[in-house]
Amino acid sequence: MASRENPTQQREGVGQWALAWRRFKKNPAAIAGLIIVGFFAFLAAFDRLVAPYPPNCVPTPFNPFCTGQYSPLQPPSLAHPFGTDSNSYDVYSQVIYGCRAAFYIGFGATAVAMIVSVLIGLAAGYFGGNTDNLLMRLTEVFLVLPFFLILLLFLKVLYYFSNTGAGGLEIEILIIGLFSWPGNARILRSEVLRVRGLEFIEASRQIGASANRILFRHILPNVLHVLIVLTTLQIAASVLIEAGVSFLGFGDQTVATWGLEFYYGFNYISDAWWVETFPGIFLTLLVMGFNLLGNGLRDALDPRLRE
Amino acid sequence: MSMTKYLIRRALYLVPVFFGITFLVFSIERLAGDPVKLLTAGQTRVTEEQRQLLRQYFGLDKPVYQQYLLWLSELFTGNLGYAYTTGGGAPVSTLIGQRAVATLELQLLGLAFSLLIAIPIGVMSAKRRYSKLDLAVTNTSLVGTSIPIFFLGIMAILVLSAKTGGLFPYGGLESISPNQYPYGSAILDQLWHLVLPTSVYTFAILAPVVLLVRSSMLEVLRQDFILAARASGLKESTVIYKHGLRNALLPLLTYVGLYFGGLLTGAPITETVFNWPGVGRLFVQAINNLDFPVIQGVVVVITLMTLVANVITDIAYAYIDPRIRLE
Amino acid sequence: MSETLLSVEGLRTYFYTYAGVVKAVDGITLQVNKGETLGLVGESGSGKTVTAQSIMRIVPTPGKTIEGTVKFEERNLLRLKESEMQHIRGKEIAYIPQDPTTTLDPVYSVGDQLVEVIMRHQPVSKRYALAKAIELLHSVGIADPEIRINQYPHELSGGTKQRIAIARALSCEPILILADEPTTALDVTIQAQILELLKDLKQKLNVAMVLITHDMGIVADTCDRVTVLYAGQVCETGTTEQVFENPKHPYTEALLSSVPSLALRKETLSVIPGSVPNLIHPPSGCRFHPRCAYSRQVCIDKDPELEPIGEGRFVHCHRWKELDLKSAVAS
Repeated sequence: MASRENPTQQREGVGQWALAWRRFKKNPAAIAGLIIVGFFAFLAAFDRLVAPYPPNCVPTPFNPFCTGQYSPLQPPSLAHPFGTDSNSYDVYSQVIYGCRAAFYIGFGATAVAMIVSVLIGLAAGYFGGNTDNLLMRLTEVFLVLPFFLILLLFLKVLYYFSNTGAGGLEIEILIIGLFSWPGNARILRSEVLRVRGLEFIEASRQIGASANRILFRHILPNVLHVLIVLTTLQIAASVLIEAGVSFLGFGDQTVATWGLEFYYGFNYISDAWWVETFPGIFLTLLVMGFNLLGNGLRDALDPRLRE
Repeated sequence: MSMTKYLIRRALYLVPVFFGITFLVFSIERLAGDPVKLLTAGQTRVTEEQRQLLRQYFGLDKPVYQQYLLWLSELFTGNLGYAYTTGGGAPVSTLIGQRAVATLELQLLGLAFSLLIAIPIGVMSAKRRYSKLDLAVTNTSLVGTSIPIFFLGIMAILVLSAKTGGLFPYGGLESISPNQYPYGSAILDQLWHLVLPTSVYTFAILAPVVLLVRSSMLEVLRQDFILAARASGLKESTVIYKHGLRNALLPLLTYVGLYFGGLLTGAPITETVFNWPGVGRLFVQAINNLDFPVIQGVVVVITLMTLVANVITDIAYAYIDPRIRLE
Repeated sequence: MSETLLSVEGLRTYFYTYAGVVKAVDGITLQVNKGETLGLVGESGSGKTVTAQSIMRIVPTPGKTIEGTVKFEERNLLRLKESEMQHIRGKEIAYIPQDPTTTLDPVYSVGDQLVEVIMRHQPVSKRYALAKAIELLHSVGIADPEIRINQYPHELSGGTKQRIAIARALSCEPILILADEPTTALDVTIQAQILELLKDLKQKLNVAMVLITHDMGIVADTCDRVTVLYAGQVCETGTTEQVFENPKHPYTEALLSSVPSLALRKETLSVIPGSVPNLIHPPSGCRFHPRCAYSRQVCIDKDPELEPIGEGRFVHCHRWKELDLKSAVAS
């Protein structure tokens, strides 16, 4: 469509965001995603009200908040709805605390990844030529690197300095973020290429708008819908990666995460199914929520799929 | 065809990548601790002098860059060095060689099965867009992409494995003693051990492939040449498979090429779940034991495998898409 | 008058989309006689392409033909089994799609794609089909057909691709060709060549043709009769001469005066105000009324009939009798 107007600027009637929201509302899967994510956000925000025990709670005489008795690997009961793990932690409470960690990792790593991918995608798509070539080679390089292995190495280094792996969560966030941009940057670049070809960009170039202005006032808003979708899906992916790391025992053992519960439970699969099953269900549900939300947003925002 | 030219160009920019990644790994791992200390921990009779001797023996007393250069020069003669502890100090190439077979067996089988299952499902789903079948396929796939492979694996173990009274062995390549072979056959025993990991692996990577086949099929099916093929009176199966699928395979190929690397990197998780003696578990063990030569070796081998997968993809791409051939 | 080859009556094809039901073709009636060329004219979105696709039963999802008859040589195509229909497509009725740059499959050679169609409809060997393909390429004016046959679409120019699409349409000697804007995507000089080729072939093979276009100039040049479409409905039908000399529908009048090559004699080139209406909620009554210079209350209230007005002409307008429309090309 060869429009001279910036399509994101509101014209008469309803804006494109209102239209998107209307389409989104009609899509039950998308609404389900929103509800799931909303539910988990609630749990994450009010975890201390929802969870009956403090995090990493092992009852000792010196710990007034942590009641009950030392009882590892107990099956689900009234006192412990999801049972207890090998440390005698209440699995239900640990799973609830895991929500906040999951959001922290999801949003943190995604923020890092998205900042990098926006900068690289915009620059490569807009400036083209050698800049594009160089950045795309760099992207290819990052796609080849065995990033998961490197992540494990970094965390191992951390363990040398702190025997509980404290601070590991932040390192995971940073590294997951720094290695997750290539795919997203590529998609953004091709979107920028598409938008750059539209006439209104050419028009603003001709009236002498600066590259900065064009990039951030005109191009960015027009690829925003893609960015939103990629962000949502990246959150899901980041949560999954972190869970994998913790499952292998390389995670931050001071923070209750779902992956860590897996690590604790893995050696006792045949004795205590509950230690693995409940965190797994929560993890799957949250990831599914973000995936549903991302797909719903894509259907609602991407005009090419509009039918 | 300028295949050689392409390969040379490819190699040219990958050489610095190779040096970069190996040097990175080389320097990071040395921050993770002193392998000699770990090795001799708790052994009160070992003196500090003996430790120093051991460091000299491993070459750990030299500056990092010298160690790196030494390692590189050995690498170019095809020598990946010797493990500190793993396999009783076996050559790294031997260690990796044994494990790589197990890793590739699982990865390639899983990939092949998932493609075999996913392609017809994706095509059917795209063909009947918005039908109940399509809805079921997309929603199931969405759930599928959300289940982490280790959760799926653990659930499979809980329900199906011998560990909890089920049918299949929960892990490992083969039974420990020949007495446990089903019908006394070693081959059957290995197949029997493959069932659970391969199925879980197949299902874990199935969903994204289904969605990708579906979406690229949808993209292709609305092209004019499909309409033209249909208007020429061609059979529907010819339209869908000969013209549709052949074109839809192109993005799938890119995906497989790219993600094969990702799958290899994810091997530590899969292999840990199924106690599968592959490269991934070797890596985890090597990190925990600070067995530097093994860590380096695995990184080299996995990077190379990824690169080879990419090159194979590119060549296959040029074979399927005539538009690439001219470049 | 010669024998009727194709007669379409009351055809309705709707698209069931997210936003609502798009009534893309809403009661179209038209007729093609043996050996003649019918021009199907209208703005984009008027339902020309969907009409052609409905005749061939290749409307893409979510479109569905829900009503009407398509009578082709005494058979109602809409009633045939899909397998029977496949033997009509490409063999008896051929379709030349709009954009030649995208109508050939990029991953197969030209030869493959021609041979495939020939062998689908004729019991011939592959070698014979290949020879036939080369001959076809020759007949549509492609130089070096032996070389072209092994090339891939991306190696060819737009004009050549369109010639190949025409060759494919002709490969099984059809009785009717539906050509969907065969020249729109091409350069002006190539356009003229392709039109010339189509006229030539038509003469030689005595094949009937429906030429879909928005260009009245092309109609004047190539068509025996015209059917003018607006918003999924027929405005009027008649011989090219009748319609050009003496338009009976206000839309035709406006269309004629907005064509530069035809309106040269006039001082000003007029533009039809407004744009093609939303086909989910089309205007009440006559769909053209919001843009019609002659509209009255009755036009808003009631949809007119498609009325026969003699000499084989039909008009879809309440006021055709009272109006004295001027043709921009009338001498």
